[in-house]
Amino acid sequence: MAEEKSQASSSKMLTLKASDGVLFEVELNIAKEMKTVQAYIDDCEDIETIPIPNVLGKHLAIVIEYIKKTNEEYDAEFEKQWNMDDLQLLLLAANYLNISGLQECLCKAIAKRIENKSPEYVRKVFNIENDHSPEEEAKLRKEYKWAFEGVDKD
Amino acid sequence: MIFGKISEVKTKMDFIQWLGPDMSIKVLSYLDHPCDLVRVSSVSRSWNRFVIENGLCKQLFFEMFPEISDVVDSVEVDNMMIEPVTNMLDNCANWECLKREHKAYAVMAFKLKPYVKNCISKAIAASSTNNYPEESIVNTLEPGDRTENRASYWLSEGQSSPGVPESLVYKLCSKICLITKIRVQPFQAYFQDGSPIYSAYTIRFRIGHPRHHIKLESAIAHGIATSNMVGDTTQFVWTYTSPYYQMLQENQLQEFTLPEPALGIGGVLLVELRGRVQQQGLYYYIGISHVQVVGLPILQAFDVKTYQPSGKYTLKYCPPDNCIYSASSSRSDSNNHSRLWSLTSSITKLDVILFMMHCLVLVLGILLLMTKKL
Repeated sequence: MAEEKSQASSSKMLTLKASDGVLFEVELNIAKEMKTVQAYIDDCEDIETIPIPNVLGKHLAIVIEYIKKTNEEYDAEFEKQWNMDDLQLLLLAANYLNISGLQECLCKAIAKRIENKSPEYVRKVFNIENDHSPEEEAKLRKEYKWAFEGVDKD
Repeated sequence: MIFGKISEVKTKMDFIQWLGPDMSIKVLSYLDHPCDLVRVSSVSRSWNRFVIENGLCKQLFFEMFPEISDVVDSVEVDNMMIEPVTNMLDNCANWECLKREHKAYAVMAFKLKPYVKNCISKAIAASSTNNYPEESIVNTLEPGDRTENRASYWLSEGQSSPGVPESLVYKLCSKICLITKIRVQPFQAYFQDGSPIYSAYTIRFRIGHPRHHIKLESAIAHGIATSNMVGDTTQFVWTYTSPYYQMLQENQLQEFTLPEPALGIGGVLLVELRGRVQQQGLYYYIGISHVQVVGLPILQAFDVKTYQPSGKYTLKYCPPDNCIYSASSSRSDSNNHSRLWSLTSSITKLDVILFMMHCLVLVLGILLLMTKKL
């Protein structure tokens, strides 16, 4: 233990274990960006392997990459790469791991994908069933006619 | 929030249920146009409830106009008082009240939203184009750097000197608008090694109109508005020139706010790009993926009529009352004759009534005089 503590904290490595068993070795200062992990470390100082039961290895890899690289330029490129399913799962991961920067980036990215799009497009992208009756939908469209003009083509 | 086998469950679950209310509110809060919120609320019944119950339109309105609570006490809709503007959402627990509030704030935000994306009506020409038509200026009207099938950007011809400037000329929409900012996204060649960004060092904007409208309209209509026209200083009269702005070597929609709003009346916008950053082989290029002109639409009461031989425009002023009147009569028959007839016929009716009243007064007056004399 004394030996471990004498190492500079930034070079101490931690292992994160994703829900599907994939292991990631990360530096302590990277892991600390995830406030959930930070809380874990605060509780049990000696821990070397931290289980992350709610996040798949694929998504944890992306999250770690994000933390390592994060800056504005990376943000702009980052959000373009992922499909809607991945964006949502990443957001859940970021929420669980409590990484506010990534949460913001992903919320913005999801919102951007539905900006200026028709309700039909949004339903398709999120796999949502339209449970409005035809009369209800017609009434809504009539009442807010101005909102349904000039929408991007699907 | 649901943990566990998320990847299996998610495809069957509603986004809002699945992400949870807090996260969903956060996502929807990034929608900064009331139309988006209204469209989102029409996706399904649960989304409708979610948007209305969480007062997202009200939240957006307060973000747009935080000063409103200093000025407005409460809002009344259909003779029913909505909760005061400073009130928290919880006090308005009644569904009907929430629905009224949602509508009121949505409409107010929409009417007050000083935001018109499409002040550009057409792309006219670029000073040069590398590969026409694949890399033409028309692509800059599409947001982003790609469509489903292909890359979407304009690229200049290559120059051995990085100092050679380029210009893009656009036709502004015909209504009058006050232009507040212009957004430009440089092109990043994602398909090339290293993904180089073909931005310029500096950028500025000019607003004006063509000297010879008919010639330009004809050239646009026939698709022959050429790069020569862009370079030819005699073709345009520039009424506004912005300062130079520094352009960033970043692939994002960069915003350039004019120091003061500039009036655009059915004219043209020039985007001038100076200083080439990126080389490919021996030559320097400039590439742009998207251009957007943001402005404030001026009152509907003004319209732009066609230009005079002087090269200037005539503005037509049509105040709302007259417009409604002539619009309604024109619905039945759009030709001038019938409009004149309905206009004349209603004046005649009014005149007849007035005339008869005057006659009555006159007759009574005469009778009174006669009785007095007698």
